[in-house]
Amino acid sequence: MRFGNMLKKELSQLLTKQAIISMFVTCGLLMMLGKTMGSTIEGIATNNDINVLCLDSSQFASDMLDKLSDYGTNVKRIDVQGFSSDTAAQTLHEKDLKVLVVIPADFSEKAESGKQADVEVYTLMSGTGLASMVDDSLASDCVSSIESYLRDNAESNIVGLTEDQSKLIRKPMLMAEFTSANGRTAKAPASELSGILMSVNMIAPMAVFFLLFMASQMIMTAISTEKIDKTLETLLSSPVSRITVLTAKMTAAVIVALLNSLTMMVGFAFYISGMTGGGTMTVNMPTGTDEVDLSGAVDVFKAMSELGISLSAGKLALVGLELFITLAIGLSVALILGAFASDAQSTQTLIMPLMFATMIPFMITMFMDVNSMPFIAKAILYIIPFTHAYTAIGNLAFGHTGVFIGGLVYQILFLAVTMFFAVRIFTTDLLFTMKLPGMSKTQAKSQN
Amino acid sequence: MILEVKGLTKSYKKGINAVDGISFDINEGEIFALIGPNGAGKTTTIRMIATLITPTAGEAFVNGHSIVKSPSKVREAITYLPDEAGAYKTMKGIDYLRFMAGLFSSDKAEIDKYVERAVNMCGLGNRLEEKINSYSRGMIRKLLLSRAVMNRPKLAILDEATSGLDVINALDIRKTIKRLSKEEGMSFLLSSHNMLEIEYVSDRVGIMANGHLLEVGSIGDLKEKHGAANLEEVFEKVVSV
Repeated sequence: MRFGNMLKKELSQLLTKQAIISMFVTCGLLMMLGKTMGSTIEGIATNNDINVLCLDSSQFASDMLDKLSDYGTNVKRIDVQGFSSDTAAQTLHEKDLKVLVVIPADFSEKAESGKQADVEVYTLMSGTGLASMVDDSLASDCVSSIESYLRDNAESNIVGLTEDQSKLIRKPMLMAEFTSANGRTAKAPASELSGILMSVNMIAPMAVFFLLFMASQMIMTAISTEKIDKTLETLLSSPVSRITVLTAKMTAAVIVALLNSLTMMVGFAFYISGMTGGGTMTVNMPTGTDEVDLSGAVDVFKAMSELGISLSAGKLALVGLELFITLAIGLSVALILGAFASDAQSTQTLIMPLMFATMIPFMITMFMDVNSMPFIAKAILYIIPFTHAYTAIGNLAFGHTGVFIGGLVYQILFLAVTMFFAVRIFTTDLLFTMKLPGMSKTQAKSQN
Repeated sequence: MILEVKGLTKSYKKGINAVDGISFDINEGEIFALIGPNGAGKTTTIRMIATLITPTAGEAFVNGHSIVKSPSKVREAITYLPDEAGAYKTMKGIDYLRFMAGLFSSDKAEIDKYVERAVNMCGLGNRLEEKINSYSRGMIRKLLLSRAVMNRPKLAILDEATSGLDVINALDIRKTIKRLSKEEGMSFLLSSHNMLEIEYVSDRVGIMANGHLLEVGSIGDLKEKHGAANLEEVFEKVVSV
């Protein structure tokens, strides 16, 4: 009986409205993420065909592509007129292709004359998010199948191998990897570029999320503590105007936000610099043996720069500005919410909407490219001002400058509105009279 | 006259009149106390006079300045100590006093004078060099009280001035309030549930209930009018009507 009584009391204290809402929102969020990831994985799993553009009109090439299914590769032939590496980006975009394996026109001539043949792989990078990460396994499988076919073909035709012929059998072909983005194409493995961009795009939003959450909580706690301790009443009854008090609070918060964003951008710059090893990062590609230059190490960051997906100083500054405005929004919203607080519990309740508004877009943008989502989902996400901070790098990297600028303008307007409400609350009775719906009578009385 | 209250009213959206057309005044050097049960409207009245909330109707003038039209002038003439108020916990006591003094003056010599006065009055000694989060509730109250009178305001508004203080300290504070009133001509608007304290310290009282000011007068007059032996009896008789 006593235990039951105690248990009832403990449960009523732990299972608060905020705890229950939090449980349901977390559950809903996980369900939504699961569904999204599931459909993404399903999409990848059901599409096992590799797109191949064969510029070689010989019977040899045609037979080879027909036989590739024996090696576990399902070829889907694509027909493109006048293809070249210069038009690759446009072709991938127009045909809605992620990866394209190109058999050059002289493929069979080289293969049949005992030279190493070339195969080119073009990959389109279109966005950020785990679901947009480049999966070049199908292309790799295709290239392996072609290599195996050539090896088997050579072995069946040649008796009594010379040293060069043995070398040719060990390595019958060369692969050149190209990456397309922003309408441009550069010679670099897409998986490397994608990996770098992904790591940048994962770390930065994570830092933004924690920064935003911590800074907002800090200002909200500061305001609510002033209210609960009644130091705010003491302050506002002294010969200082309310605008001065509010301006000082906001300026301090903005300075803290600015310091935070500057610190973060410096850290971020070091992060990128650390990854590049002082400016360059190279990957080795096979050494060419003929007129086609496939040689040497490819500077990945040079390639990123050529594609326009690297973060230049100008873009970093824009990301910094975006971060600053995002933090200012977070702080002004926290200021407004903090003004509702009447005790520690209500402060916890009030921080929830801010927590979800920062967490939900963070989780979604981590997995999905917002720009490739349906219009409604995209609109809902972009209405949340914090989403723009998480998508800033991706939008700038992949040429969605309009979306970035639009987001920035929207955020500035949003900031103006929140600032207006913050000023209104601070300059009227609202600061002392407004309360949360459902607040107990005792709490309400203590405010009046 | 330091404070003149005329038909002061505060209504909320649901049609509730927290304060309903009350009028009273406080003379220079006078200690006036508002007493009443919980929810009587004392704190709302005090908050209006302290310019924290605006009246729905009526007016009040502090040292001749309207709380509606010239709130900044009013704030120069008053100090306010809310009930159960705290202080900035991460500050040292002395820094808190200096910070608050800086809100009332920008002259360094004057600030130093205010701080010195508060230091002498609060009796916290070396503890003022420690952070406020190490203070007891009574120590914080003493710090806040000394802050409230350090600049000799025309009107000090003290809500439950001695809450959290032990008997000796509370008595000390009451004596200080009386002394400041008589010797320095400071006026006080007090709010308290402690009838003994009010009877000891106040010149006149106003009894409030349900937003109305039911009685105003000196304690002697009220006791005589209601045939009561003490203020507690007066309060009981007035409020229970």
